[in-house]
Amino acid sequence: MTFAALRGSLRYRLLLGTLCWIAASIFVAGWGLGKLFHQHVETQFHAELTIHLDQLTAQLALDEQGRPELAMQPGDPRLNQPFAGLYWQIDRLAEAGFPAESAVLRSRSLWDQVLDVPADAPVTGEVHRHRIAGPQGAGLGMVERRVSIDGLPLRLIVAADENLMIEPVSRFQGELWLALGILGLGLALAALVQVFVGTAPLRSLQAALGRVRGGATRQLEGAFPTEIMPLVTEFNSVLTQNAEVIERARTQAGNLAHALKTPLSVLANAANATGGEDGELARLVAAQVEIARKQVDYHLARAQAAATARMPGARTPLQPAIEGLVRTMQRIHAARNLEMVVHPLAPALAFRGEEHDLQEMLGNLIDNACKWAISRIEIRAHAGHDRIAICVDDDGKGIASDQRDAMLQRGVRADQQVPGTGLGLAIASDLAHLYGGHLALADSPQGGLRATLTLPAAR
Amino acid sequence: MRILVVEDEPMLAAQLAEGVSAAGYVADIARNGADAHFMGDTEPYDAVVLDIGLPQMDGITVLKKWRAAGRTMPVLILTARDSWHEKVAGIDAGADDYLTKPFHMEELLARLRALIRRAGGHASTELVCGPLTLDTRSSRVSVNGRTLTLTGHEYRVLAYLIHHRDEVVSRGDLTEHIYAQDFDRDSNTVEVFIGRLRKKLPPELIETVRGLGYRLASPQ
Repeated sequence: MTFAALRGSLRYRLLLGTLCWIAASIFVAGWGLGKLFHQHVETQFHAELTIHLDQLTAQLALDEQGRPELAMQPGDPRLNQPFAGLYWQIDRLAEAGFPAESAVLRSRSLWDQVLDVPADAPVTGEVHRHRIAGPQGAGLGMVERRVSIDGLPLRLIVAADENLMIEPVSRFQGELWLALGILGLGLALAALVQVFVGTAPLRSLQAALGRVRGGATRQLEGAFPTEIMPLVTEFNSVLTQNAEVIERARTQAGNLAHALKTPLSVLANAANATGGEDGELARLVAAQVEIARKQVDYHLARAQAAATARMPGARTPLQPAIEGLVRTMQRIHAARNLEMVVHPLAPALAFRGEEHDLQEMLGNLIDNACKWAISRIEIRAHAGHDRIAICVDDDGKGIASDQRDAMLQRGVRADQQVPGTGLGLAIASDLAHLYGGHLALADSPQGGLRATLTLPAAR
Repeated sequence: MRILVVEDEPMLAAQLAEGVSAAGYVADIARNGADAHFMGDTEPYDAVVLDIGLPQMDGITVLKKWRAAGRTMPVLILTARDSWHEKVAGIDAGADDYLTKPFHMEELLARLRALIRRAGGHASTELVCGPLTLDTRSSRVSVNGRTLTLTGHEYRVLAYLIHHRDEVVSRGDLTEHIYAQDFDRDSNTVEVFIGRLRKKLPPELIETVRGLGYRLASPQ
């Protein structure tokens, strides 16, 4: 699918929108949660350092020589293990002639190292935080506090390896992104399902339209969601209205034909009655009346079919149409004592078009066969790929192959002696073309003409 | 033989009646569906020429009503509506034949004759009864090959009898089938026509069935 086609797809739009939203939500959630956790761990870290600092402060005293000492060593084993990551140190600050001295006391874990604290001068009792380089190059987070015991200014320092803080944060973030990834995947899957289920009525609407177009149904059928139902109802009413307009047009065309042909009948009969007195005029009138009648017949049949050939939703089962025509032919051509054989045809065979037009095409073919047959007519139908073919065979004298094309031209008659419009085959061929089918003439195995009408099949 | 012509166009109705009469039938005219239905329902017509587009009640409805009421006379639909859809509808409504306008009067008459003949169970255009032959196409009556000269009324009486040969035909039947509807009928005139026919035909061909009517008997 091209990009333009994708942009035109409702499903693609819905899916793209949802996926973007899911990705953004997950990214923001992951980033925010990570940040929050990091802050929490950092706060914890400093709180722990501050607790150690408080303990150190509480244990701090001066010995007889006025040197600081701890009444009791802090209990955390990491403080007694060299370079275990947790350290403390007490510095004496410069004051009144005494020079400053770093690491008056320090934890065993510092071994022979001294924490190099940036120079700053916190007010007594205030706790300051710093990041410093520790033993073996590790980054340390540290807190310091200035205390003064009996006038001796001291700086108490507790520091811990930052890795103690970073490690749980990165472990948490790994698990967080994994969980969010799974969540995102689940949401994307849910979005896919939702879009698929949500647009399912559109697909069934499309299928219903296909059935109407294919002639299986006259109206859109099936239950649709309330959002689509008004559309379906409107469309159905348009279809109904269309059918009514066509029916009206047919009736009016029929009325017009009636209005024209009755006066033509009067004229022809009157001319015929005066035949003895003015033969020339009678012949002229009769000929002109015949021409007028042919014109009316031809254009009427064409106009009616042209209005309906592309009309969706029309479906005409073959069997009843053929049976009705055969009944009619047996009456109209009763005097000819013809044997009419309709070979059994599948009941499901149906023409994608109007009943009137099928009857007009087949009626003309069978009527033509009845006029020419000696004793027998055979009708058979079969289905091909989305096509139906109807064969009408007679045992008459047939049509020479070089005249067949001419027979399908408008207004050409092979034999003026046989009564009828002489336009039958031409009309049938024309209507078939309007429906995207065709009429073929060939030799019949019975000896006469085989007319094969190929038309679109209804599903 | 009485024919009902149902046609709303006055000129065409007159032409039809004229053509039918010239062929030796008696014609009644109905100008609308309601009249046509009533006449066809109450009078014994031998055939009907029926238009479809009619005022008050269309021809198809009239025909269906007749058939539903058990009226079996042959009906020829004569209409401008010539689509096969309408022809099928007409035949399925009970019509026996279908002719479209404009038409040739000769074809209409030929079809009418065929309908009447078939309704009487006769396959050939020539009806034969012993030495008597009636050619329905030319309305010619001959005895042993010699053509008879008959008046219109004599022809109608004989034609009705020969269409119903070997059946007893009452005087009333004959009267109804040889006169138009509005004609002042007198069944005694039938006796006059029978008497004249007997003089022109071989003796004993037309039997009198006492108290019932007449019979044209084919010799055993």
